[in-house]
Amino acid sequence: MIRTLLALMPAHARGRIALYAVLSVLSVAIRATGAVLLVPLVAALFGPDPARAWPWFLGLTGATVLAWTIDTVLSRLGFELGFALLDSAQHEVADRLTRVRMSWFDAANTAQARQAIATAGPDLVGLVANLMTPLVNALLLPVALGLALLAVAPPLGVVALVAVPVLLLALWGSGRITRRADAEAAASNTELTESLVEFARTQAALRAARRVDAERSRTGAAIAAQHGAIVRLLLLQIPGQVLFGVAAQLTLLALAGTAAWLGVSGAVSAPEAVALVVVIARYLEPVTTLGQLAPALEGVTATLRRMRVVVEAPVGGTAGTASEVPDTAPRVALEGVTVRHGATTVLDGFDLVLEPGTTTAIVGPSGAGKTTVLGVIAGLVEPDAGRLTVDGRDVRELDADARRALVSVVFQHPYLFDGGVHDNVRVGDPSADEDTVAAALALARVDEVVARLPEGSATRVGEGGSMLSGGERQRVSIARAVLKPAPVLLIDEATSALDTENEAAVVAAIADDPRPRTRVIVAHRLASIAHADRVVFLERGRIVEDGSPAELDAAGGRFAEFWAQQRAAAEWVLGGTPSR
Amino acid sequence: MARGFQGAIMRGFGAHDHLATVTSTEHLAPHFLRVRMNAPRLFDDATTSPTEWVRIWFPDPAGGDAEHQRAYTFSETDPETGDFACDFVLHEPAGPASAWASAAQPGDTIVVTPFGSDRVTIPEELPAGYLLVGDSASVPAINSIIRALPPELPVELYLEQHDPDDVLIPLAPHPRLAVHWAPRSEGTDALAAAIEDRDWTDWTAWGAPESTTLKHVLARLKGEFGFPKTEVKARAYWIHGRAMGKLRDDPKPAAEAPEARPQAAPEGAAAEPVAPRRGAARRTSTTSTGWRSQAGSRLIAPLKPTFIAAGVLQGLVTLVQLAPWVLLVELARVLVTGGEPATMWALGVAAVVLLGVGTLLETALLLWVHAVDARFARGIRSRLTDKLARLPLGWFDARGSGGVKKVVDDDTLALHYLTTHAVPDAVAAVVAPLAVLGYLFVADWRIALVLFVPVLVYVFTMAAMVFQSGPKIAQAGRWAERMNAEAAGYLEGQPVVRVFGGAAASTFRRRLDGYIAFLNEWQRPFTGKKTVMDLVTRPATFLWLICGMGVLLVTTGAMQPIGLIPFLLLGTTFGARLLGIGYGLGGLRDGLQAARRIQLVLDEPELGVREPEEDGADAGRADAGRADAGLVEFDHVTFGYRADAPVLHDVELRLEPGTVTAIVGPSGSGKSTLAALLARFHDVQGGGIRLDGRDLRSLTADELYARLGFVFQNPQLVAGTVHDNIALGSPDATRERVEQAAREAQLHDRILQLPDGYDTRLDGASTLSGGERQRLAIARALLSDPGVLVLDEATAFADPESEFLVQQALSRLTRGRTVLVIAHRLHTVTAADAIVVLERGRIVERGTHDALLAKDGRYRALWHARPATAEPEGATR
Repeated sequence: MIRTLLALMPAHARGRIALYAVLSVLSVAIRATGAVLLVPLVAALFGPDPARAWPWFLGLTGATVLAWTIDTVLSRLGFELGFALLDSAQHEVADRLTRVRMSWFDAANTAQARQAIATAGPDLVGLVANLMTPLVNALLLPVALGLALLAVAPPLGVVALVAVPVLLLALWGSGRITRRADAEAAASNTELTESLVEFARTQAALRAARRVDAERSRTGAAIAAQHGAIVRLLLLQIPGQVLFGVAAQLTLLALAGTAAWLGVSGAVSAPEAVALVVVIARYLEPVTTLGQLAPALEGVTATLRRMRVVVEAPVGGTAGTASEVPDTAPRVALEGVTVRHGATTVLDGFDLVLEPGTTTAIVGPSGAGKTTVLGVIAGLVEPDAGRLTVDGRDVRELDADARRALVSVVFQHPYLFDGGVHDNVRVGDPSADEDTVAAALALARVDEVVARLPEGSATRVGEGGSMLSGGERQRVSIARAVLKPAPVLLIDEATSALDTENEAAVVAAIADDPRPRTRVIVAHRLASIAHADRVVFLERGRIVEDGSPAELDAAGGRFAEFWAQQRAAAEWVLGGTPSR
Repeated sequence: MARGFQGAIMRGFGAHDHLATVTSTEHLAPHFLRVRMNAPRLFDDATTSPTEWVRIWFPDPAGGDAEHQRAYTFSETDPETGDFACDFVLHEPAGPASAWASAAQPGDTIVVTPFGSDRVTIPEELPAGYLLVGDSASVPAINSIIRALPPELPVELYLEQHDPDDVLIPLAPHPRLAVHWAPRSEGTDALAAAIEDRDWTDWTAWGAPESTTLKHVLARLKGEFGFPKTEVKARAYWIHGRAMGKLRDDPKPAAEAPEARPQAAPEGAAAEPVAPRRGAARRTSTTSTGWRSQAGSRLIAPLKPTFIAAGVLQGLVTLVQLAPWVLLVELARVLVTGGEPATMWALGVAAVVLLGVGTLLETALLLWVHAVDARFARGIRSRLTDKLARLPLGWFDARGSGGVKKVVDDDTLALHYLTTHAVPDAVAAVVAPLAVLGYLFVADWRIALVLFVPVLVYVFTMAAMVFQSGPKIAQAGRWAERMNAEAAGYLEGQPVVRVFGGAAASTFRRRLDGYIAFLNEWQRPFTGKKTVMDLVTRPATFLWLICGMGVLLVTTGAMQPIGLIPFLLLGTTFGARLLGIGYGLGGLRDGLQAARRIQLVLDEPELGVREPEEDGADAGRADAGRADAGLVEFDHVTFGYRADAPVLHDVELRLEPGTVTAIVGPSGSGKSTLAALLARFHDVQGGGIRLDGRDLRSLTADELYARLGFVFQNPQLVAGTVHDNIALGSPDATRERVEQAAREAQLHDRILQLPDGYDTRLDGASTLSGGERQRLAIARALLSDPGVLVLDEATAFADPESEFLVQQALSRLTRGRTVLVIAHRLHTVTAADAIVVLERGRIVERGTHDALLAKDGRYRALWHARPATAEPEGATR
């Protein structure tokens, strides 16, 4: 946790961190001194002349005021560090996310990353002042008191110092036992609730299949079985709940016994022995605090862990140094590309050469690896083996900017940011002049969308583009991609039929875009396929057919079948032939 | 400025003054004046929640130095500009507010202070209705609540009439608002008596009438109608015959009280617009026990004895755990008096015995509550399982899987905490400080009293912080929500950010910076206060106080030194213990809310099976011997998700055996609801649906689904193999029959590609695509072979490669059955035997495609307005 914390702290905070550490130690030392001042103070009170306690009280006042002063500074420093941490950690996480390999973004990691951005803030602000400071105090104060006691009453000091690791061990053990018991209980509970949730989730299917009663008795049996397991879990749990309390009380007993022994044996005076008993009480306070801090500590540790997951996520392959981007349509080649997603191999030694200036349609059933091919060319998927070359040069020789400048993409699920339509399109080329932007808008049929919007092209599209329909979002995304002056254009066509305008925009991006480019489209619609120079039919990561649309249609293979099915699907009617 | 003690307190809490400038005034009624003002930064400190009010400092009408503070509810707000308005009830003789308002001119200025306002929040889970009680003084607050209420919620408003013109005061519009006036002249209990004697179960009440009236109203609501405490929010906005403000230290937010208003009622009182229901016979039997908000206590009622016993036992354990400290005090006493070692040994033995006893008791308590909890949880889960098996299927749709999981998983866990830990924790949190407090007060009350000083400092600082956080807490919630959405979008948009670079991420960057700035702006001012709160409650601070007091008392001879020992041992942690009380009680609330949600699920109405009707056509048809023909009749069907808001009105529909009937209509017209009713996802509210002459409600689930099948979007797979899933409804089906069904559903080839073919387990959701899952559901339906089918024609949403296959499978499935299909694309149902056009829950047209197209009606309009779907080039339609 400390390591993550230091890693997330901005570099310019190092000095303040050191100051914080020094002041923390100083504060603890002063408080220990104050506690030990109680010995002469209490002794004086019980002595023949109680007024001799006044100077000691003045000393205690001095120590208290000094400790307050230092702690005020510490607290301020702690919050400063908290705010610095907030600022640097949040930005660090956001930055890192743009460099992490895309394959890292599975459901679990994405959820962690989202929480790291959205919910960590308030925790980070108070982390140092509200958690670190009490934690450091609770750990150091007993040790400091033990050392101070060593000077006043050596045997008591020894017992106190020996008790520190014992108490910490008990605390740790207690937490460990509790956590393990909780984990077992949770696992058993999850299993049970999952069967209940499953029972609820599939109610419609179960009722339609008349299987409700059978499933209900199965779930009922699971509930009864879990009940039987609970007693065992309980026996696991008890030691964790009482261990620390017993250790603390035993320590108290040992310390009190030692103090009493010192008093009785005459090693210290009776009033001093009483005073020592008082110091003992001070010794136990911070240890108890430690137990109370545990839940908060767990919460913050979880937050930091989430941030570490992001900050330590694998980044993409090291970029090269070349910065030249071809300004004409390049030849793009995938050579022996292998891509694995976990255990499944999506592409295995895949070869594909895209001739300069051509448009290639990739067609095939879902799961064939079409989008993965696009991802490799776009640089979003890193091949596990093989390479991608552009005009013969391995793209790994390019630096990050050149690599990004190489391709433009129309995504299947276009993400628009919450800004104007115009701003979203301009993301493609912030330096483009108005005419170029207007041409891209017209090409992608966005001008028709804009004409309908209340504030024209300045209309905000809402979060994720929610103010626009799916087809409209798609068109804005086409305009954005077309505007980007990249020599390679990739289009991942939407699977569901959105609207005719949308389809026309896709066709225009293939056929009417004046910029010389090499284009690849993952196509589902006949119209977009028809405008391609070449069709590559993909099945299970392999090219099974390759040729012009007309050639393949005539060949009567997989593509021809696909083509026929598409036609039939568009004309299908339920319950017979259309009456027209 | 003379604002007295109150002004000082408010400044101490950090309340800010704002100088408001009058912009205009308007008489909304002869004695009801709206004063519009502007204070540019007012809404930095105030929110626009319903019933939000500010304190206004009015000059002394007599010209004195004092300023009079009154609280006024916002009647208009604009946080952007700082424009706001307050309404004043004018009366004679005028008080400071009335006098100021009637003379107010544009350009006048006055000081306003937002501080300590009430805020009404409309709960997410709505009550059955809102009962509002008040008078002219609380109309602005009442209006603000009415404006915040959803239109479908009934609102009953009871107003006490003080002036004949009161009825002219404009009220906020609401479609289901009913207003009742009761004259004050008939007594202070007239308003309470006017409240209708009816079943108010599940209503929420909000009231702000005059003080005496309020007492009567509360007595009626709680005593006679059984309103639970949590469902009544009420406070007196003014007190009759008493000036508000000046000397009072607890001002109520009020349109100003009519100070020294003549006791005599307004003369016009005779002409009341609405006769009060004073004479209504008072029944006491309307008290209901079934308040939804109280459902939680019903669920855990059987646990009450356990809770009490556990609480008592925990109290004992806590006391035993404190005992060693008392023994230490005794040890000190023995030491000082030069006691015998034998006494010390006795103390030591006592300490060990107490330790053992305490540990044993604690263990026993833990074991016992866990055992009770296990039994209780098993009972709850069994009841939930039984309930889930009998709830209408529509209930699951409405909740989504997340909602169901919350009840089954999270809530049962919260309940576990409630039964096992919450009560002992709460008792320990309360007993320990109280016991210490009592012990210390007995030891020496003077020092004990001093220990409250730091606690008071803490409480005051905390209160100031809570106040200053006021509007920020709501903002923080909104920020958290927004950042969650932003972060999700940023993550989802990563491919775009990678391809298009920094410009695509700039919005997110700005939001993130904005959020960080907000957290800074919110939290930074509190760092000083938090430090103070931390330092004053530290043991070192208490120690210093105890020593100071102790030395003083001992040196002056007011106390024996030994008397100080209990404080030195137990007094230092006193503050921390006392402040822990609130923390220990939090778990109780969460657990009770969980209990409430579970009980509400258990209370949901179930699908019943009623006796077949003996009378009329029903029985006659059933005898007609066409039990399996597949005839479906909708007989004057009316249905709504809320009883008072029908979605379907009086639907008459007959599906002839073996025909295809398509439902078309704009989204929201009730298509899916109509289909869901036939599949009995809900029961109809009016009329009936008959299958082969028998009302659906007289069939058991098994009887119904043996004859009727459905294929909707997102078909459900159960855990098991492909074979199990297809054969779900016919577990005895042979592999040949299962394969045959899969072939007909165009799924056989795909299944053979799976690693274990038909024996592949379908655990992960991703094994099959959406289109494949649909085909699996079709195969399942083919195997069950029901006579009647309800379909959602959702093939447009399947992946394109699957679309054709899903269509082929559907064509096979529908052959020879009675089919009701929800159509999303008109051209797919042009061959249907009948097309029914639904609009706003009513059937507006019916006929074949050709017949309907020939008519110049809704269908024709829909046909021509249909979205042009992408068609292959050269394709004909």
